Amino acid sequence: MRAALGALTVLLFTLGLAGQAVAQTRLDVSWPSNVGPLNPHLYTPNQMFAQAMVYEPLVRYQADGTIIPWLAERWDVSEDGLAYTFTLRDDVTFSNGEPFDAAAVVANFEAVLANRERHAWLGLTDAIAGVEALDAHTVALTLASPYYPVLQDLALPRPFRFIAPSQLIDRTSAHGIRAPIGTGPWVLAETRLGEFDRFARNETYWGEAPALDEVNMKVIVDPNTRAIALQTGEIDLIYGADGPISPDTFARLAESGEYTTALSPPAETLMLALNSQHGPTAELAVRQAINHAVDKASMIESVFHGTQVPADTLFAPSVPYADVGLAAYDFDTARAATLLDAAGWTLDHGVRERDGQPLQIELVFVGNDAVAKSLAEIVQAELMTLGMLVRLIGEEESSVYARQRDGRFGMIFNRTWGAPFDPHAFISSMRTPSHADYQAQSGLDDKPEIDALIDEILASVDEDERQALYARLLNRLHDAAVYLPLTYTNVIAVADPALGPIPFGAMTSEIPFERITPMVND
Amino acid sequence: MGGFIARRLLLLPVLLLAASLVIFLLLHLGPSDPAMDYLRLSQVPPTEQALEHARITLGLDRPLAVQYLDWLSSAVRLDFGVSYATQRPVFQDLMHYLPATLELAGVALALTLLVSIPLGRWAARHHHRGPDHLVRLIAFVGVSMPNFWLGFLLVALFSIYLGWLPPMGRGGVTHLIMPAVAISLMSLAINARLLRASMLEVQGQRHVRYARLRGLAERDVESSHVFRNALLPIITATGMHIGELIGGTLIIESIFGWPGVGRFAITAIFNRDYPVIQCFTLLMVTIFVVCNLVVDIVYAFADPRIRVSRQGVQ
Repeated sequence: MRAALGALTVLLFTLGLAGQAVAQTRLDVSWPSNVGPLNPHLYTPNQMFAQAMVYEPLVRYQADGTIIPWLAERWDVSEDGLAYTFTLRDDVTFSNGEPFDAAAVVANFEAVLANRERHAWLGLTDAIAGVEALDAHTVALTLASPYYPVLQDLALPRPFRFIAPSQLIDRTSAHGIRAPIGTGPWVLAETRLGEFDRFARNETYWGEAPALDEVNMKVIVDPNTRAIALQTGEIDLIYGADGPISPDTFARLAESGEYTTALSPPAETLMLALNSQHGPTAELAVRQAINHAVDKASMIESVFHGTQVPADTLFAPSVPYADVGLAAYDFDTARAATLLDAAGWTLDHGVRERDGQPLQIELVFVGNDAVAKSLAEIVQAELMTLGMLVRLIGEEESSVYARQRDGRFGMIFNRTWGAPFDPHAFISSMRTPSHADYQAQSGLDDKPEIDALIDEILASVDEDERQALYARLLNRLHDAAVYLPLTYTNVIAVADPALGPIPFGAMTSEIPFERITPMVND
Repeated sequence: MGGFIARRLLLLPVLLLAASLVIFLLLHLGPSDPAMDYLRLSQVPPTEQALEHARITLGLDRPLAVQYLDWLSSAVRLDFGVSYATQRPVFQDLMHYLPATLELAGVALALTLLVSIPLGRWAARHHHRGPDHLVRLIAFVGVSMPNFWLGFLLVALFSIYLGWLPPMGRGGVTHLIMPAVAISLMSLAINARLLRASMLEVQGQRHVRYARLRGLAERDVESSHVFRNALLPIITATGMHIGELIGGTLIIESIFGWPGVGRFAITAIFNRDYPVIQCFTLLMVTIFVVCNLVVDIVYAFADPRIRVSRQGVQ
């Protein structure tokens, strides 16, 4: 009897242990490449999401477009917008124990500015006149000319983030760093080339500690393999903006009901830039007709299985300054036909002609991009019903890139850059000839005025005035119909349900692993 | 024999030189602009200034002949430059990935030989009966099925449905099974079919009939008179299969997340990462040429007729 009781006790105890609540502590995720040496100030092969895990900014960009204090607990801006004074937190150390202070901030800014040419694409690099430590925890940033998106640029995953100064080589990072030591919630624990990069929680992190102990990024190049890895438990999460798995696979995994699937709010706009310089698209009526001719809703249903939102404007209304009440070009083929008729393009045996010339437009896309190809074919078919011929040109990426630069296109795929670049950095690039936007707009009579308006927006100091200027610019571009907005793309996540809800970063380039809290199993 | 090997070895550098020239020209006379690819992969906006800067950094502003000689002189010192995409030295990275590929291709080769030879013998022994039909069916399926499709089918069955084998990565023996089978099935099928045909042919020859007339046991006739002679074409075929197996790793490594040169090269080809493509192609040429050399030597050893005729010429 006693033996039986003893056995029962042991049994109950074991059952109790087995049923004890245990939450997952390690996360396996797929990524197409290794994360690189994690130099906070440089670009490829450093992966932005990983830079953002290890290094932190002075201020942080929020999903609603606002900026909150981060490593800087507050800041003051002078009346003229030329002087920024940042007061740093005094409780932050790098993961190797070095203090994060004004000297460290200045050392990092100087390392970035020593390589100024490399960062010329970013407005802030050009605008900075000097950085100076006022005391141990105060830094003064002086600009040469007013530039309103200072805080947005400082929030970027690179280059204005901070590595322990001892890890700079000869006070620069241009030729590499000693080791990736930052202040962020994660430290890079181990890298195996072609296999994985393992991040561990930074045990001395100043902020809220992540729930997970480890994040292991496995190198998986092939999208199908990624899906299989999730299905077989090799990884727990697929996350990404640029189609980490195909839309069909996403739909299949979502329908299976076995995974948490999530779509972020609109991240970027995918559109076709319409060339106003030459060909039929040089004519406003043709560009407007194209905008009325494409049924975006059914395009998205068939190509993206309804996972994206049709885009009516260059920027989604949720983008800062972009909610300016633009009227969408509705899907209205009769209207499109009327516009073309009025412009003298008459229908003859299914094809529109004027003065013996057929209405033919070249549509350029990256040939091995299956999604772009499907979209291009749908646009071709829809325009054909109105008698507009579309010649599809599928080329390799660098050729498409070259065509964007020199304007050899009628229509070409293009996308905005997402938060926090939209709208300011994207409109800034419209002034540069190497961008498709510049080429698409350069046939407009008032292109010089458009560029001057952009200059004015970027240098504006007053918030209301800036909003009014944005409204003018976005209205002008919308009326000129130099874009055919297609969809607002998003970030997708497919996860093991045990991970709980998957949060999305405010920027497409970051993955908020520190906010993933696996649920307790029992 | 020594002279034969020495001559073949001397030919190796000449072959590599010719191959390097072809590779260099193919990539540099192609439609796309390496400077543009460089900027795209380094995520630098392609302004006129940046393009000019990249052309000078990459040495693309110099005459093609100078570029080639410069590349060649570095290549001789095993310096193949830095990858546009990873910014890491190309040769070191290829050497890092090579052992994994050799492991996979080696196992696939062993699998090919260990399975195809018994299958071929079995089929020949039971000509026009059940086993023969079965082997012919396997061979038919094997040559018809693309290796990547087989790879996906294997994963669907053994990883997703049954959960027996890991779908990706490199680790223990279990990780090797599916990729090795996927790569080797075609070579295996061809080899089995080839050996079967070769054995049937040899069986009809006079020396075999004499052996039988001498009253030798059927088992001895088959193993020492038929099989040994029938093996000769298999040696040649195996030389070609080594190339096929390594070529097969290109796709299969991507599917199975195998960290080898194949996957590295596929990514580089998609990216147009020229330094990697050049180094990889040259590496493949070297492997092919060396394998062919080894096969020729083995052949000479195995077939006295070749050995003797070569000596006769000398």
